[in-house]
Amino acid sequence: MKKTSKRIFHIGWTNFKRNSYLSLGTTGVMAMVLLLFGGLMVINYISSEIVGGLQGKVDVSVYFKQDAAEDEIMDIKQDLEDQSQVSSVTYISRDKALEEFKSNHAGDALIQASLSELTDNPLQASLNIKAKDSSQYTTIVSYLEGNKFRPLIDKINFYENEAVINRVQGISNGLRNWGFLATLILAMVAILVTFNTIRLTIYNQKQEIEIMRLVGGSSWHVKAPYLVEGGLYGLFAALIATVLFYPTVWVVSSKAALLLPGISLISYFVANIAQFIFLMLMIGVGLGVISSSVAIRRFLKV
Amino acid sequence: MIEFKNVSTIYDDDFIALDDLNLEIKDGEFVSLVGPSGAGKSTLLKLMTREIKPSAGDIVIDGVNIADLSAKEVPLLRRKIGTIFQDFKLLSKKSAFENVAFALEVCGAEPEEIEADVPKVLNIVGLNEKIKNFPHQMSGGEKQRLAIARALIHRPRIILADEPTGNLDLVNSYDVVKLLMKINEFGTTVILATHNREIVNAVGRRVITMERGKVVRDQIEQGKYII
Repeated sequence: MKKTSKRIFHIGWTNFKRNSYLSLGTTGVMAMVLLLFGGLMVINYISSEIVGGLQGKVDVSVYFKQDAAEDEIMDIKQDLEDQSQVSSVTYISRDKALEEFKSNHAGDALIQASLSELTDNPLQASLNIKAKDSSQYTTIVSYLEGNKFRPLIDKINFYENEAVINRVQGISNGLRNWGFLATLILAMVAILVTFNTIRLTIYNQKQEIEIMRLVGGSSWHVKAPYLVEGGLYGLFAALIATVLFYPTVWVVSSKAALLLPGISLISYFVANIAQFIFLMLMIGVGLGVISSSVAIRRFLKV
Repeated sequence: MIEFKNVSTIYDDDFIALDDLNLEIKDGEFVSLVGPSGAGKSTLLKLMTREIKPSAGDIVIDGVNIADLSAKEVPLLRRKIGTIFQDFKLLSKKSAFENVAFALEVCGAEPEEIEADVPKVLNIVGLNEKIKNFPHQMSGGEKQRLAIARALIHRPRIILADEPTGNLDLVNSYDVVKLLMKINEFGTTVILATHNREIVNAVGRRVITMERGKVVRDQIEQGKYII
């Protein structure tokens, strides 16, 4: 078994070296295909960051009547936190709200003077709710509307923000769906290009394959070195793609940071370099081996 | 023993290549198969290596009806037979050594055995100096001798030669036939399909003449090329 594997790898490697022009061409095309996959990863990362950023900016605040007791508000908070759609709930007491209001308007003498005239705190206690996904605000709000504590609630600002939330939701969905569709189409193109390139490479050697069959080579005996050859195209293509990808991301990253502050492409991809190389190798070797296997099948029928 | 029993082969374009053919070839025979183009000589050889299946009838080699073999059993049949073709069918990306070694590798031979046997066979066919050469670095005669070395390496019981001298000059043709006769002396059955009158007459063994898919003449001994 060990000897057979050694022989198969040896022949695969020898074929790869001897067909140097063909190997170079096929590896080059596959490297481009893998770079395309890398590009798709960049697009997906940017779009998920944009979606995440937009979603993070959306929240709903529930304002309570002046006489609502803190215990009861905490009960509601607990109820909300138990909901699967809710990501976080922050309680802002009346005192905290006043404090924040004061600090926000520290430079405005008129407001400060007006506040000092007041004997009572005019601000309401509130709960700030963030959903896991912006599409879930409607469910959360309807839960609150039907809650036994509903009489304590003065207003829910969802209704004022509904249009904005829906817009954010629309953009997020659009980005996700179109991103997914673009990824799917480009991935299909990449797979077809790889498959056809390898098919041509194998077609070029069809006579050899037929001869091997005629002198008594079993299907597996003939096929295995070609699978190794396909895997080698993928392996080298993955290495070339990685070597080209990182400097490109480094150059693009600084430009992208100007347009999209807070997003650092290079630090994301450097942090995930092991996963990136692993993924490139998996896609490259996988595509190479599978394409070879499919392409060689018809020539083995001799 | 090779037996053809009522074998017919009809190609997709309705061309009848073999028409209810019956034939027996005993172990160790040297058979020259002659006849005009389209007589069915190559079809007969292709049937024996299961490159094609008969439309009807049985082909029995050593008691096994090869028309019934499964796809997995076909390579095992081919390893029992050595085949030599007019166009040599050498692996262009492999050296002389590797071309011959391949036929041994597929039989599951150990590397040590391959290292020892391949140079011996190349020596027999007179290619010991060309062991590292690739087919494109060899003459026509050398290529055919290399193909013979490949056909011989696994000590087959049957050698099929389809127009092996078709691309060679007279001197090289005689060399090839002398090699085939030598192989036959060691007990290997040789079936030689050819158009070459001089060669057939020089061999002077059993000659089967085919026409339109049928055997029209079978000269068991001292056969001559007659069409």
